[in-house]
Amino acid sequence: MTGQAVLAAAGGVTGGEQITFWILAPLALMGAIGTVWARNAVHSALWLVLTMLCLGVFYVLQSGPFIGMVQIIVYTGAIMMLFLFVLMLVGRDASDSLIETLRGQRIAAILLGLGFGALVATGLWRALGQADAVGLEQANANGNVQGIAALLFTRYVFAFEITSALLITAAVGAMVLAHVERRRQDRMDQVATMKARFRPGNYPGPKPGPGVYATSSSVATPARLPDGGLTERSVPQILPQRELSEEDKALKGTEK
Amino acid sequence: MDLKLPDIDYAALAPILVLFGASLVGVLVEAFIPRKRRHLTQLVLGLLALTGALVAVVLNAQDRVVTAGGAVAVDGPTLFLQGAIVVLAGMALMLIGERSVQRGGAFVAHAAVTVGSPEDQRQAADEGGATEVYPLTLFAVSGMLLFVAANDLLTMFIALEAFSLPLYLLCALARRRRLLSQESALKYFLLGSYASAFFLFGMALVYGFTVGAGGTGSGGGVDFGTIRTAVTDSAASEVLLFAGLALLSIGLLFKIAAAPFHVWTPDVYQGAPTPITGFMAACTKVAAFGGLLRVLHVAFSGASWDFTPVLGAIAVLTMLVGAILAVTQTDIKRLLAYSSVANAGYLLVGALVLSKDGLSSTMFYLVAYGFTVLAAFGVVTLVRDADGEATHLSRWAGLGRRSPLYAGLFTFLLLAFAGIPLTSGFTSKFAVFGAALDAGQSWLVIAGVLTSMILAFPYLRVVVMMWLSEPGESTPTVSLPGGLTAAALMIGVVATLVLGVAPAPLLDLANGAAEFVR
Repeated sequence: MTGQAVLAAAGGVTGGEQITFWILAPLALMGAIGTVWARNAVHSALWLVLTMLCLGVFYVLQSGPFIGMVQIIVYTGAIMMLFLFVLMLVGRDASDSLIETLRGQRIAAILLGLGFGALVATGLWRALGQADAVGLEQANANGNVQGIAALLFTRYVFAFEITSALLITAAVGAMVLAHVERRRQDRMDQVATMKARFRPGNYPGPKPGPGVYATSSSVATPARLPDGGLTERSVPQILPQRELSEEDKALKGTEK
Repeated sequence: MDLKLPDIDYAALAPILVLFGASLVGVLVEAFIPRKRRHLTQLVLGLLALTGALVAVVLNAQDRVVTAGGAVAVDGPTLFLQGAIVVLAGMALMLIGERSVQRGGAFVAHAAVTVGSPEDQRQAADEGGATEVYPLTLFAVSGMLLFVAANDLLTMFIALEAFSLPLYLLCALARRRRLLSQESALKYFLLGSYASAFFLFGMALVYGFTVGAGGTGSGGGVDFGTIRTAVTDSAASEVLLFAGLALLSIGLLFKIAAAPFHVWTPDVYQGAPTPITGFMAACTKVAAFGGLLRVLHVAFSGASWDFTPVLGAIAVLTMLVGAILAVTQTDIKRLLAYSSVANAGYLLVGALVLSKDGLSSTMFYLVAYGFTVLAAFGVVTLVRDADGEATHLSRWAGLGRRSPLYAGLFTFLLLAFAGIPLTSGFTSKFAVFGAALDAGQSWLVIAGVLTSMILAFPYLRVVVMMWLSEPGESTPTVSLPGGLTAAALMIGVVATLVLGVAPAPLLDLANGAAEFVR
């Protein structure tokens, strides 16, 4: 454990660490910019995964293997994948409007953002340019995970307990904002379901499968009814119906 | 390695734990009690829990301890502010629980139903509001109690999140004008997370600054004691200290709605359900200022020469922005929002005076303002027409003829906001400005007095409108308040009057409490 914990020698920056940093830092930055820039929400999420992976490696490099692994497993692995699932379920075609409601807002935001970034970066450069890291060995003296556990269960035990309030609030909030309760009178029993099924205007039989043509057998191609027309019932509602050319639709001489 | 759990003084933490436990019970009530009985159960549970917390605060009155491994400080300011938050939250809970003014209360029954759909119209007309608001409110209150007691930045950050998250949710649950409400919640959430990120960033820089303080080779810390030592003798570059403090302050100033971090305030105050607006205006302000006071007094007092000019400039800007923009408002909730921005400025004047007087006068101001603002929003919930609350100012014209009692009460509250003598607004402004003058911050006092004069104009305009205009066709009626709103309203008005006429007991209490444990 200790061998692994002291990946970075305290006090100095080793060559390997420097090389890794200079390779991954631009990637992390690119991921962050891509997250904001990408039009498609799924692409945005994937860019964010890139940034988080790079950050995870940084943590490991800085002798925090536990936090690095947690970053990769929990954030990148679990949370972002959950996020992607939700995006896919909700539908990813929700396009954002690109109309600026405040004129010049984007330019101003970019300028101020760059200014702020430059300010913080130069400040930190001046403050930390020559500083050496101290206390890393003491912090990892009993191993990295043990060090974190010792802090969590002694000094920050109350803060640690209070995070449970956060989690419960989040769960309650998700239920309040997203859950639609069906009223009892809206629930249909068996008799009502059957009546609705055989009501005039409703076709009680199963839906036809998609059409099979010489040129296409996609699930998006509508099937043909006995009278030669196409039926929309054969295609799932969420799919755009495949357009068939006249040639596709023309009868292929089977009437002879 | 053997770990030794820190000693935890459960009695000192009792107010927080009582409310936290009650909110957990509230969540269980949602799961197991039939819908019809939930509202009453939750309301009674909430009021009982707040009473219990208040009793615990009173029992702790002599406590001056740092507990839970140094994470929580229970001292005079903590207990005073905790008591204030609990009392004000009790009033807010009465407004939240009111169901006779509007059928079903101020909250939507099912927030996920599409806005404007037939189903939505049905639920707006006759379904009881969501009762999850009670546990969420209690979660927020327990977070606030921890926030004013937090003795290191990490605990403070978690408390900040613990009381913000329920507030974001509560903002989205208005029964009427739901799109406005959802928009306000989203804005509050996004900007709030952004401010929290600044807070975290600042915390990292301050941590960097503390490393190496008090002898070389020692690791740093984010508890206020370590920071206080580091401010005087850290070898690290001061850029870290100033940048860290600046970023920390952004997180805190966002919550107290100081300019230029106030832009969320009018939109959120307008969109949120009115009882929640009152809750935020009173309790969040007390909690956020409690945190800021502790950070400035305990952790960074050594750097006061450096931060006073900057925060002073922010205070002046806040007062100016709040006062001037309040003049242009046409919606009563937005007007009160800008007035709350301006009041944040006056409070900052007090918070920047790092003396006992400054501390006690700021705490007094917080309590006085909380009572007044809650009562004011209580009146706003009563002035309504068929579409819900009539908040446009033009609709308030002639209200004095329609219902002299409520117009009279509201006039009194507005006069208190304006700082007319014999109201709590006057005594609290007097105390804060007096403390600032004693500390030699006369430029802040001059700005404060000037902006108070500007700010009196919008208040008096509303008063003139209510009394000197003829009621028109569109003047809404004032609903008869139910017992709960009436009680909250009365508590607020009486407190505003009493603190204006006989402020001495509370001032003495604040004076006696005005000492942080270090």
